[in-house]
Amino acid sequence: MTKVVGKPLKRKEDPKLITGNGQFTDDIKLTGMLYMAVKRSQHAHARIKRISVDAALKLPGVVAVYTGKDVQDKIKPIRSIWLVPGCDLIAKDRVPLAVDKVNYTGEAVAVVIAESRYLASDALDLIDVVYEELPAVVHQEAAIEGSAPVIYNDVPGNVAFTWKAGEVPEEVFANAEVVVKQRFYEQRVAANPMETRGAVAQYNPGSGELTLWCTSQNPHIHRLQYSEALGISETKLRIIAPDVGGGFGAKIAVYTEEALAAFAAMDLKQPVKWIEDRQEHFLATSHARDQVITTELAGTKDGKILAIRTRNVASLGAYLSTMGAGVPTIDFGLMVTGAYTIPYAQAETIGVYTNTTPTDAYRGAGKPEASYQIERIVSLFAEKIGMDPVEVRRKNLVQKGSFPYTNPMGCNYDSGDYQKVLEQALEAAGYAGLRKEQEEARKNGRLLGIGISTYVELCGLGPSAVAGAIGFGGGLYENCTVRVHPSGKVTVLTGASPHGQGEGTTFAQVVAEKFGIPIEDVELFHGDTHMISMGWGTYGSRTTPVAGGALAIAADRVIEKAIKIAAHELEVSPEELKFEDGAFMVKGDPDKKRTFKEIAWSANNAWNLPAGVEPALEGQCFFDPPDFVYPFGAHICVVEVDPDTGVVDLKKYVSVDDVGRILNPLIVEGQVHGGLAQGIGQALWEQTVYSEKGQLLSGTFMDYAMPKAKFFPMIESSFVESPSPVNPLGAKGVGETGTTAAPSAVVNAVMDALKPYGVVDLEMPLTPEKVWKAIQKGRAVK
Amino acid sequence: MRIEYSYTFDLPKDTVWRYIQDDRVLRSSLPGCQTFEEMPSGIYAAELGLNTGPVKGLFSAEVQQVDQIPPTYYRLLVKGKGKPGEIDAVADMILEEAEEAEGGTKITCVAEIEVTGVLASVGQRVMVGVAKVILGQFFKAAEKEMQNEI
Amino acid sequence: MTKKWNVEVKVNGRVKRAEVEPRLLLVHLLRDEFNLTGTHIGCDTSQCGACTVMMDGKAVKSCTVLAVQADGAEIQTVEGLGTVDQLHPIQAGFWEKHGLQCGFCTPGIMMAVNGLLQDNLNPSEAEIRDALDGVICRCTGYQFIVKAVQQAAETIRNSQQQSQVVPAEGGSV
Repeated sequence: MTKVVGKPLKRKEDPKLITGNGQFTDDIKLTGMLYMAVKRSQHAHARIKRISVDAALKLPGVVAVYTGKDVQDKIKPIRSIWLVPGCDLIAKDRVPLAVDKVNYTGEAVAVVIAESRYLASDALDLIDVVYEELPAVVHQEAAIEGSAPVIYNDVPGNVAFTWKAGEVPEEVFANAEVVVKQRFYEQRVAANPMETRGAVAQYNPGSGELTLWCTSQNPHIHRLQYSEALGISETKLRIIAPDVGGGFGAKIAVYTEEALAAFAAMDLKQPVKWIEDRQEHFLATSHARDQVITTELAGTKDGKILAIRTRNVASLGAYLSTMGAGVPTIDFGLMVTGAYTIPYAQAETIGVYTNTTPTDAYRGAGKPEASYQIERIVSLFAEKIGMDPVEVRRKNLVQKGSFPYTNPMGCNYDSGDYQKVLEQALEAAGYAGLRKEQEEARKNGRLLGIGISTYVELCGLGPSAVAGAIGFGGGLYENCTVRVHPSGKVTVLTGASPHGQGEGTTFAQVVAEKFGIPIEDVELFHGDTHMISMGWGTYGSRTTPVAGGALAIAADRVIEKAIKIAAHELEVSPEELKFEDGAFMVKGDPDKKRTFKEIAWSANNAWNLPAGVEPALEGQCFFDPPDFVYPFGAHICVVEVDPDTGVVDLKKYVSVDDVGRILNPLIVEGQVHGGLAQGIGQALWEQTVYSEKGQLLSGTFMDYAMPKAKFFPMIESSFVESPSPVNPLGAKGVGETGTTAAPSAVVNAVMDALKPYGVVDLEMPLTPEKVWKAIQKGRAVK
Repeated sequence: MRIEYSYTFDLPKDTVWRYIQDDRVLRSSLPGCQTFEEMPSGIYAAELGLNTGPVKGLFSAEVQQVDQIPPTYYRLLVKGKGKPGEIDAVADMILEEAEEAEGGTKITCVAEIEVTGVLASVGQRVMVGVAKVILGQFFKAAEKEMQNEI
Repeated sequence: MTKKWNVEVKVNGRVKRAEVEPRLLLVHLLRDEFNLTGTHIGCDTSQCGACTVMMDGKAVKSCTVLAVQADGAEIQTVEGLGTVDQLHPIQAGFWEKHGLQCGFCTPGIMMAVNGLLQDNLNPSEAEIRDALDGVICRCTGYQFIVKAVQQAAETIRNSQQQSQVVPAEGGSV
């Protein structure tokens, strides 16, 4: 049996997807199905004076219209599940439909149920909502000023919480040889999976069972929340995440529309479908980032970093989304020192309600923000002391041999050789040559820039005890069942819920190798709360480290049991057997053996089992990892800026990542590319923009700059593998590396290019206009 | 957003001043105007059927003309509401003798416009263009009406 | 009630009929009436290209074509490109080179690629990236899509060369 783990196998998921046989939520069609459309607020902040639905109800084909008043006693608000402790958090939950007041443009005020999606949409126009406009607060820094309008009377100054971690003694900054301070704005962006959100709800009035197909990254969390909101027992609520067309964090959050579709299906006793259109998606699906981060670094003239102090003013939007409070606090604050040995750190985050769409996780969730500020400030520090940014990093990176390294916030970086990764990246990029080329280019007036990012991120969420301590309303273990059928074929069930990450293949590789069977014999099943024991879903780069851990242990449990059965059949003791290449062989007498397939049959027919061994062959594991995992990497970006137009040309991008043990290099590289496209997208193009009055101005793909194929050069990626000690597979997670590393690598490169003009910092995205203006300003100063 | 638009009437300033705020002229020259009535408050209530780009469908509007300085200036306040969203506009209307056409009058409209709904999320990008088209239609029709009146 | 129109289209080689509202989009005709759900909808402003199909031999975004405009037309969707047992070289390329992750945009992107390869069987990397300007993929970062297209082009070129009788002088392909 050849080894399959670590091989670049093509994916088992693909044949159905490339032939148009995937089944996404909108592909589900049920007899008698009705369609839901959502009437949304046109104002960012307004009182609802009156809603007239009569004209809509009169439209032939319209079955029902529900307003906030109709459902307020029937659907409970959706709670945020991450109530960060110790920060006086005031959580404002999403209500199913606004009743008295709308708090952001796009907030749902009514829903129409009709016989077709076109009719439902027509009927929206016939609903008349009369508003009394109120002044809106859009930007978080304005929102916390005393004069700002207040969104909630019981939230003074719009401040939802003030969170603090770590402490830097005042004398560290007072006595420091060098202090660098910079304000960074992590602009608001949208995850924008290509499949928008959607739901199909079917109710059986006889059994009282409700099935809800929806676009979810974590169906068990959706069940937990909707079961509470709708007052349905978990035994009667079946959440199914069918094929899901990307999530990137936006499909973690538990929203209200899916609950409304479920409610309507129960109320009308007919299936109801709701599919968000892209404009709705921009308005109603969580946004991300939107944090104003001020960072101070204290250091020595010879390049040692002594302390980091941050203040993050984060916009939560109008309601506290599912993980809205955790992202800018725990996810951000614990990682502010990055990959460096810095003795002191202090992080403060102020969570602010604004009249905008709620913010929540987006690929990286807090870690890209943490990485951005540290990687930018370290480069500014290097600049200030006149040292090469690579040299400063070399001096401060966590040293090989000091793992696990505990950072000032208490995070235990698991394993690695950060210097080796950095040197490999420098080598791959030809760093020394690049600096020479830059020098030449500058002589000719060309603006060549080189940017470096040496990031580390907290992934593989995580130990459940920590989840409890940080206020996460659930566990963070994961579950896998490895079920061996009589034929020897294997079904793996997991509580994680992949939607493009390829675990259907990588998990099959692990099982195939462990059992010595063909990968074709293994199928992964996920995304159905009726079929799968408790699980917590796919996000935070946790599927391979945590669910994969459960998988490895569950598979080992199968082998353990199979050995007993094989030994019994071969009339030897289990200790006398070895299991290799799919066969249980007597040590020293390899002809005396049973194949895995034979034992699968024996175990399942149970004709002749050893005493005390139960029939069937199935292993299950709930794996609660002892700690988080910490992928590390060094990325180098080379840009050339056109001084006449401000256009940034991405010339080269080199990534070297240590994501632990790699199960499938093809899939891992794909994850890196995808993350990088989004990270580079944030650095250069993407931004969610509101008008001063809270109107969303980037509400379509015409206005929101989604990265296109021709924006990118070929990415040069490679890997270093340092297995993580905290899970059986040694995996560290790879999904979020690109979004964590790229923004600072790209911005550092552009700032390096603009150095001749004295530009210190520009806010992302670095659009040609912004860059051009900075050049003009620099010219004027010159 | 801010827009600036000028139109030159082939009519003297006094004539333009006299008729540009006249409700009969407005009624027949506002694009797609279906009703135009003065309310007791002095505000006009209008219904306009518009069809230019995203500004599509029936809009109910309140139109108010204030701060007149004859014959050179007045301020126009428009609040409109339609399916695709709401429009809130404050426009300064400036009348001057046209330089290029003798005996003509140049009217310049400098407006600050706020929109909501689909008009904001989808229409914003094209709103300036749309507003100019609508203003152009209005002034052209108004000029024709004025010529009929005199 | 709006008057309904009869449309007849040949989809993936089979004639199909439906009675539709004049405003019905081709993509909804394919998905909702004909149950060809391989064609997806990713936006509402014709930017993302998830709904791309071939109409009379040209790649079109089926969210910007009315069903009535497609009356009498020949349509090819992803379901007509190839089957699991007999993949089209484009499908095989996407599989081999990991040109997809969530797979939602993939059918539309493959149809757009089909349009490209009809006109140019030897596209450069820049030409491929240019041809992908009308589609959006959020998962892959496009690099493996580019590789997939290169592989597909090569497969098609090779199969055409094999199936051609090579002229004495070599000739041009």
